[in-house]
Amino acid sequence: MNPVGRGIRNAFRNGVRTGAIVIILGLSIGLSLTMLVAQRAVENKIKSVKSSIGNTITISPAGFTPGSDANNALTSDDLAKVQKLAHVTSVAETLTDRLPTTGSSAPTFGKFGTGSDGGSSTSLTSPITLNAHGGGMGGERFFISGGEGGSLPADFSLPVSFIGTNHPANLTTDYSATIARGAQISGTADSNNALISSQMAVKNNLKVGDTFTAYSAALTVAGIFNTDNQAAQDTVIVSLAALQRLSAQGGVVTSAVATIDSLDNLGNATSAVKSTLGSNADVVSAQEEADNTVAPLNSVKTVSTFSLVGAVVAGAVIILLVMVMVVRERKKEIGVVKAIGGSNLRIMGEFMVESLTLAVLGAVVGLLIGVVGGQPVTKMLVDNSTSNTTTSTQFQRPGGRTFAANAEPNGGFGGRFDAGLRRNSAVEGLRNVKAQIGPGLLLDGFGAAVLIAILGSALSAGLIAKVRPSTVMRAE
Amino acid sequence: MLEVKNLVKTFRSGDTTVIAANDISFSVPDGQFASVVGRSGSGKSTLLSLLGALDLPTSGSIVVGDRDITKMRDHELIGYRGRSIGFVFQSYNLVPNLTALENVMLPMEFAKTPKAERIKRGKSLLQEVGLQDDQMGRKPGRLSGGQQQRVAIARALANRPQLILADEPTGNLDATTGKMIFDLLHSLSRKEKTTIIVVTHDLEIAGKTDKTFHLDDGRLVSNNRS
Repeated sequence: MNPVGRGIRNAFRNGVRTGAIVIILGLSIGLSLTMLVAQRAVENKIKSVKSSIGNTITISPAGFTPGSDANNALTSDDLAKVQKLAHVTSVAETLTDRLPTTGSSAPTFGKFGTGSDGGSSTSLTSPITLNAHGGGMGGERFFISGGEGGSLPADFSLPVSFIGTNHPANLTTDYSATIARGAQISGTADSNNALISSQMAVKNNLKVGDTFTAYSAALTVAGIFNTDNQAAQDTVIVSLAALQRLSAQGGVVTSAVATIDSLDNLGNATSAVKSTLGSNADVVSAQEEADNTVAPLNSVKTVSTFSLVGAVVAGAVIILLVMVMVVRERKKEIGVVKAIGGSNLRIMGEFMVESLTLAVLGAVVGLLIGVVGGQPVTKMLVDNSTSNTTTSTQFQRPGGRTFAANAEPNGGFGGRFDAGLRRNSAVEGLRNVKAQIGPGLLLDGFGAAVLIAILGSALSAGLIAKVRPSTVMRAE
Repeated sequence: MLEVKNLVKTFRSGDTTVIAANDISFSVPDGQFASVVGRSGSGKSTLLSLLGALDLPTSGSIVVGDRDITKMRDHELIGYRGRSIGFVFQSYNLVPNLTALENVMLPMEFAKTPKAERIKRGKSLLQEVGLQDDQMGRKPGRLSGGQQQRVAIARALANRPQLILADEPTGNLDATTGKMIFDLLHSLSRKEKTTIIVVTHDLEIAGKTDKTFHLDDGRLVSNNRS
């Protein structure tokens, strides 16, 4: 029998012990593989997020908080300077506002979109309904947490968001919205044409050409768009000039997105915009946004990498201790084999094969564990990480307005609600990490098993070399 | 011819130096059956280790045929042990997870003997030492002490060695089986023209060998022809 056959046979000398070793090793390799799966899945997601970043810079007023009375908005004059900077191809400006439904009562806590002038309202009713005790729309839970001891009036309905933009096409793209009926509006014309969601149209029984009231003016439904984005369903889109006029905020902009001619120039252009706007604005490039977005995934990657290394080391230590124990146990036998002409290399080869056999059997068990556990463990790690980190993260509304997810009490209900929507959307995107075990990963798993076997049998090989054949005589 | 000259082996035991072999010199002509006797701790097993190249002497020489094995390098010693020496131990020392036949074939495998030849010679040797066909496929754990020692003798003869070294080969056997094993070794040494050196406590057995060496405290105190 050759050394390979004998090594394999040696691995099964003691069935119970072999079984126990294989199970322990399997758990270790399974954990390694699970962590490898999680690491690869998260890496792919990070790569995908980073590869999808655009060459844009988001500009918002410095320290802007929803519901704040402070007039810290940007102005079109500020942004005109940005437009003139090198590599800036366009600047999409937006102004956001929120109006209560005419006749709707406001709760006794928080601020509820009373409009920039404090008294405007709209004839529109939000298509989104709210369950004050949780269990709201689409399975999401929204809680009233803007104040203490407050309650919702019976005739309360959510405020309606108004966004004015000079690039309405960008906005519909951001919302993943498609114009289902009517036509796109002009972003530059100061007209009272508006786009509303199909849900808003159904809720208010409107069709293209119909009018509704906002800011005491009549607005015409120029187009109706379809979208799955719940924030967008509650939003009316008009031209920037129209909203500045209607809300009496001439020249005011609450956010802007500057497009740069190429990704290569994004860094320099971001610095130039920051320098131009100074402390008046928060300037974040798409690259920075992507980095912030994937930050929770990076922590998962770090955890999985450490766990992977830990599990591989644990597997190697298990094999190492087992093989050291086996060598000590068979010291006399090694001496006999050396006495009858067996070389060190040959005996080491047998032990290496024995170690490999245990590792490969462990790898088979580990692969099963990895296949079964890869996706759930990845999901659990990603879910935990995103739920731990997003509570203090800022999320951006498609219009460019940024809200703290944990908005302060003054933030008012509208701000909190909107942030909640965006948060869920962003987090869901991150959480959608697919863990897959392909042939490459299987090969890596077996590679790890072989590595574990080699590392684990290294010390035993040294011990074998030290066994002198005279051991057999001393044992007599 | 096996020729031992001024063989010394010392080793440390705590703070003291133990002289296990003290200036031993003797020779054994080819094909002779010699025995080494002495009390426990007299250095018999140490002498056997040195003769079998299992251990290196502190000084002196051991010439087997025309080669001094104390001058050999490690890899040469492995080859020498495999081809020129056969060992028989008191507690048999068979590889437990190999069958009787596989145990006999093992030294031939190390000597790179072709597989067909290994099987043929292995079976022939096992028949010669009196093992039944159905016992050849058994592992050592399923053989009696006498049968295991027969397998060990067959293994020692596998590569047609110049020298067989047997350390108390009958020590673990009852008197009848011990006598049978001794007779077997004797007859095989005659048949295969192999030099055999056997370490024993049994003076009756020693009396039947061609030459007897008496050891006391590592010294060779007498060198008698029986």
